[in-house]
Amino acid sequence: MNIQEYIESGKLELFLLGELTEREREEVIAMAKAHPQIQEELDALEQSMFAFDELTGKKPSPQLKEKIFASLEEDFKKEEAPKKAPAPNPAPVETKVVKLTPWKSFAAAASLVAVLASAAAIYFAGKFYETDQKFTALLQDQQVMADNLNQVKLQYEETDNRLDRLVAGDFRRVEMKGEALPMQKDAKVDVFWDQKVQEVFVAVNNLNSLSEEFDYQLWAIGKDGPVGIGLVNPGEKFTLQQMQAVAEAGAFAITIEPKGGSQSPTLEKLVVLGEVA
Amino acid sequence: MQEEEIIAGLRARDRKTTEYLYEKYSRALFAVISRIITDQDIAEEVFHDAFIKITRKIDSYEESKGRLYTWMANICRNSAIDKLRSKEISQTTKTNTIDDFVFGLESQSGTMEQVEGIGVRELMNQLNEDQRFIIEYIYFQGYTHSELSEEFDIPLGTVKSRVRAALQVLKKNLERI
Repeated sequence: MNIQEYIESGKLELFLLGELTEREREEVIAMAKAHPQIQEELDALEQSMFAFDELTGKKPSPQLKEKIFASLEEDFKKEEAPKKAPAPNPAPVETKVVKLTPWKSFAAAASLVAVLASAAAIYFAGKFYETDQKFTALLQDQQVMADNLNQVKLQYEETDNRLDRLVAGDFRRVEMKGEALPMQKDAKVDVFWDQKVQEVFVAVNNLNSLSEEFDYQLWAIGKDGPVGIGLVNPGEKFTLQQMQAVAEAGAFAITIEPKGGSQSPTLEKLVVLGEVA
Repeated sequence: MQEEEIIAGLRARDRKTTEYLYEKYSRALFAVISRIITDQDIAEEVFHDAFIKITRKIDSYEESKGRLYTWMANICRNSAIDKLRSKEISQTTKTNTIDDFVFGLESQSGTMEQVEGIGVRELMNQLNEDQRFIIEYIYFQGYTHSELSEEFDIPLGTVKSRVRAALQVLKKNLERI
């Protein structure tokens, strides 16, 4: 298994939150043992969890500490009485006569080393700062990419789900066209309707975009007249947009309505119409 | 004190080590609990019991199975969640949110507690909507990831990757402190 993938699986975080099953815990422990990189990540995560807790915490009241230690009192091992062992005799200090060494040259050498070390430290500090900046930027990029991936995943799941329903269901396709109407001759929108489970999707094939103040509204026209069953987004072409449930309809139509839709359709602004075959 | 020394000290029931442990971790561990339990008195009660549990169960702690802080934090988190779900508390407290919590911190200390230049609010503002949502439910309301997935109809994999993303953002920003 790829170590990086393992680290990114989110398992380590759940391990630290104590949310893994015993089997998974053992797996993480074994992986950390086998791969120092995983152990490092675990340690770093734990460190930041601690730092986060420390940062967001307030100290419990001093009375609480007293109470806790009072409760613990009998647990503690009695502190042993201070030993009466005699203090070790201080070793006799010998005053040795040390010959004078040529300290000046040592001092000069030492200060030279100090200067060089400082220069190196400054240089590397600069380098480190630069790298750290780059690293932070990279992390942020990576974050954005991970988020994007997540979104794509979600979208995919949604689409997949709709496709499943479309394939599994008993959908009828109702073509709505604008040919016979004055608004937009080449407008074309398909309705997919499963009467049994009362589900309606629309797929925009061709529909002009609208200004801010207006929306396209889908109507199901049945015995009791037209019922608004949702707003259609003209920008989302060839995707399935789910509408509200309809059990009974002889035809579907789309009109242009003020933003948010209306209670009853503005017939002068009828854009497409399609009868259920 | 190194982690091994702390553990050895706790196992020997050494008072000084226990005090050291308290000084070093009480703030963070109490945060784990008081994030989930808004009522200060109940939170303290839970912390009291959890801390005692930590010192008494130290013999069953295995170093090979994770670091000390994680172990302790999980004891605290689980105690808080248990309490939250027990009958005595569920009706009386409202749900906790990040904003309530940050507000609570702000109003308690008068001004926002700033730890070396970065505040909690600032930290939270680094999260995007999804990540904030995750942190809110997992850290502040004690949801497990599978509960979150079920209740909000988010695929489990997505919850996992969002938990990771959120913690990465926190980690990154905490590193800058």
